[in-house]
Amino acid sequence: MIKGYDKKSVGIEKPFTQLFLLGIMILLVIFLSIKSPYFLTWNNLRNILDHTSTQLIMAIGMTFVISSGGIDLSVGSIVALTGICIGLMLKGGVSVVLSSIIGVLIGGILGAINGVIISKLKIAPFIVTIGSMSLFRGISLVITEGMPIYGFPPQITYFGKGDLGKINPPIILGIFMAILSVFLLKYTKWGQYSLALGGNEEALRRVGVSVNFYKTTIYIFSGLMAGLAGLIYISRLNAAEPNAGFMLESDIIAAVILGGTSMKGGKASIGGTVIACLLLGVVRNGLTLLSISSYYQQLFIGAIIIISVSISEIRQRRQIQI
Amino acid sequence: MEEPKGNIVFASLKNISKSFGKVNALKNVTMEIEKNKITAIVGDNGSGKSTLIKILSGTIRPDSGSIYIEDNLYKYITPKLAYEKGIATVYQDLALDNFRDVTGNIFLGKEITKFGFILDYEKMYRETEFLLKNLNINIPYLKTPVGYLSGGQRQSVAIGRAVYQGKKLIIFDEPTAAMGVKESTAANHLIKSLPDKGFAVLIISHDIYQVFDISDRIFILEHGEVVDDVMKNQVTPQELRERISLGAKNCLRESECID
Amino acid sequence: MKKVISLVLVLTMLISMLIGCTSKDMETRELDSTKDAEEMDLVEENNSEEEGNSKIAEMEEILMDQLEPMPELDGGEKIGVLIISLTNPFWSNMKDKYEKAGEELGIEVEVLSAPTEGDTTSQLETLDGMIVKDYDAIIFSPIDGNNLIPGLLRANQANVPVINLGPGVNQDALKEQGGHVDGIITVDFENQGKMVAEDMLKQMPDGGKVAIIQGIPGAGQSEGRTKGAKEVFENTEGVEIVSIQPGNWDRNTAYNIATDLIQAHPDLKGIFACNDVMALAAVEALETADKKDGIIVYGVDFTEEAQVAIKEGRLDGSITYSPSVYTKAALLLSLKIVQGEEVEGPVYSPLAVVNKENINDFDGWK
Repeated sequence: MIKGYDKKSVGIEKPFTQLFLLGIMILLVIFLSIKSPYFLTWNNLRNILDHTSTQLIMAIGMTFVISSGGIDLSVGSIVALTGICIGLMLKGGVSVVLSSIIGVLIGGILGAINGVIISKLKIAPFIVTIGSMSLFRGISLVITEGMPIYGFPPQITYFGKGDLGKINPPIILGIFMAILSVFLLKYTKWGQYSLALGGNEEALRRVGVSVNFYKTTIYIFSGLMAGLAGLIYISRLNAAEPNAGFMLESDIIAAVILGGTSMKGGKASIGGTVIACLLLGVVRNGLTLLSISSYYQQLFIGAIIIISVSISEIRQRRQIQI
Repeated sequence: MEEPKGNIVFASLKNISKSFGKVNALKNVTMEIEKNKITAIVGDNGSGKSTLIKILSGTIRPDSGSIYIEDNLYKYITPKLAYEKGIATVYQDLALDNFRDVTGNIFLGKEITKFGFILDYEKMYRETEFLLKNLNINIPYLKTPVGYLSGGQRQSVAIGRAVYQGKKLIIFDEPTAAMGVKESTAANHLIKSLPDKGFAVLIISHDIYQVFDISDRIFILEHGEVVDDVMKNQVTPQELRERISLGAKNCLRESECID
Repeated sequence: MKKVISLVLVLTMLISMLIGCTSKDMETRELDSTKDAEEMDLVEENNSEEEGNSKIAEMEEILMDQLEPMPELDGGEKIGVLIISLTNPFWSNMKDKYEKAGEELGIEVEVLSAPTEGDTTSQLETLDGMIVKDYDAIIFSPIDGNNLIPGLLRANQANVPVINLGPGVNQDALKEQGGHVDGIITVDFENQGKMVAEDMLKQMPDGGKVAIIQGIPGAGQSEGRTKGAKEVFENTEGVEIVSIQPGNWDRNTAYNIATDLIQAHPDLKGIFACNDVMALAAVEALETADKKDGIIVYGVDFTEEAQVAIKEGRLDGSITYSPSVYTKAALLLSLKIVQGEEVEGPVYSPLAVVNKENINDFDGWK
């Protein structure tokens, strides 16, 4: 036994980053409620949740990818391509439910392409997904010749806009995915192996786990989440566009890192991802309510990321080196 | 050397040779690893001992010779076969996930689940406590990421994993090389306790005193050849030291050192 | 080594996929275009008596007046066109129209673009590549005011005439560096904003609160349209601008802005979006919130999608000019310059506001 360790707290990290973000968010909420009478209305809060839901769903997929030591830059393009596939199916007379399901699955297939190349050919995820980002976007543009697809059966909009009492399907889906992913991360082998892939891939390989299989499934998961976001996009906007979700990946990655998931892999915080997405949603909403230019949005978000990540890194370095 | 009766051989190597280009790393090496015993390989840098463990753990294939594991003959071993046959290697890097806690590392790849898919943490923590107690390993904080533990504790975790995951032969590569005096005493103590629990142990070391302290049988390797096979109870540490330094040449050029 | 081999394999796979896609695409496009041409003929025949065509003819006349005297048409010139992006429906339509106008005038036209709408450097690289080819003139539409200037200087040196269509190049910066453009043909963006705002106000006799959804801040179209509309709104009594937010030309962003807007300003009366994509997103958002009645939404560009939406009474209006006349005029202007004529001052494309009342006049619009 080594002295100086507190038996209960050694290295067991307190959710400092998450609490820090939560603190900022509470301050922001207080500030906005004072500044705008509309902020604390249910309808406005519902707007924030609705706008955050797509980002959250994709960020959850990305949390697994990043915690496994990877990165998925193709998610924005997958949103566009799945949206277009759904749009084409609807135009071709496929039923709304079937095209939605197939669309989301196509997202999974696109993720599988990333995953197989990354794991089997052992090429860096950054390289593979920066390639597939272009590839998927290119396919979307070629298929549509750059034009939006529109004029769908009205049922498609139910999923994005339908009223379920006080909330709508994207919000429910976002909440459901958040809860499901907390469970997956903590209580399934799949979640634990995602973390172990980022923590020490070699260790996982040596205990006889099929590293390639798990790696591939993580990218499939991320693809499915992006496909789901693509479905919400088309049903909310009632149109599918080849440039939907352009540059979305950088927002998503920023949210995941802001939430305290380490780029080095091995650690993940779904709670942090949820808080970070909500914080970004509140910032965007507040700026619109107060009619402040979006330049400040970029400035504010950038500052929060740098400050919060720096603080948590410094705190960690003060403890024992890992 | 005659074998004491009643000893069971877990694995043996017969006339194993391996060369890398013009360099002969191993020349007709023949040796045995017994159950319930600690076998040691000592030798200087370039003596070929690392090549030997790599052959046993399946990462490289010998050019010629045969390998017997529990009386089955193999030309070479793959990592998968080593895994299935219960050969575990505790490398110096220990292959631990530093972000994962003690239990998480011990159970990595062999997690206990309920209903077939939900991880049963309660049971895993209980089993870990039981296992560590059995092995006389003292790590009171099971939920601490192992990155925060000391070198000795980390090694205990790696050993704990090998033991838990049903291994039969545990190979140690320089187990105490990076440890302080107190820690290496504890580590030696732990390794010494393994044969009584039914394991075969193979240890590779520079440290003659450690080897002498814990092993039952010692193979001395020089330039890829077994030059001596010593039962511990037949020699004193001084004699052992002389046997090793005889004929050992200084190795200054990298090309002369295969390790 | 193994890695290198697999990398090469994947790359070849990807490339072959791409080639496969594009060649297949070209075939279908060729098929499509012949089909289109046939359809177009039919449409033209059908519409020859309708007003849509007469409106185009009217516009064509106004434009061609500015271009008198006409250049010779059998010189076999080859003209390169650099547009902003094929990811934007407006520009992919422009590409089409350029090619059709080229066919009509019997000159060779090649249309190139930057890969994405915001990719300023690769647009410049594309221009550099075009200068070394054998074009007699290059028509260009820059992503922003400055990104193409270095290329334009090289074009000046190589004596390739350059004609600026649409978004303007920063003339001061260009002149400062010793460069020039040989001709300008453009849409007056400020005027677009102005005309739309005026038409909106006609539908809102009592005035009230209005909001503007911009494109990408800093982009010429976005800034010009915003400025024009802002001036009109500000100078009208009883009208108040409550918000100007950048929607970045993006549908989802505009959707979110619109939902937030009606939250913050329940008594909002009008939304002017700097393009139709964003205007349609705003309509979608208002309909979802059950607030469409009583809020006037206008866009810019008059895309096909907008045309349908105006007919259905969902979108209130848009503003347009005829891309086919516009591109044809640009090609004629380039020919004049290639043939050594001086053209003074910019050529402006005439504009037409489309709203619920006159939408039927725009059937067959191109």
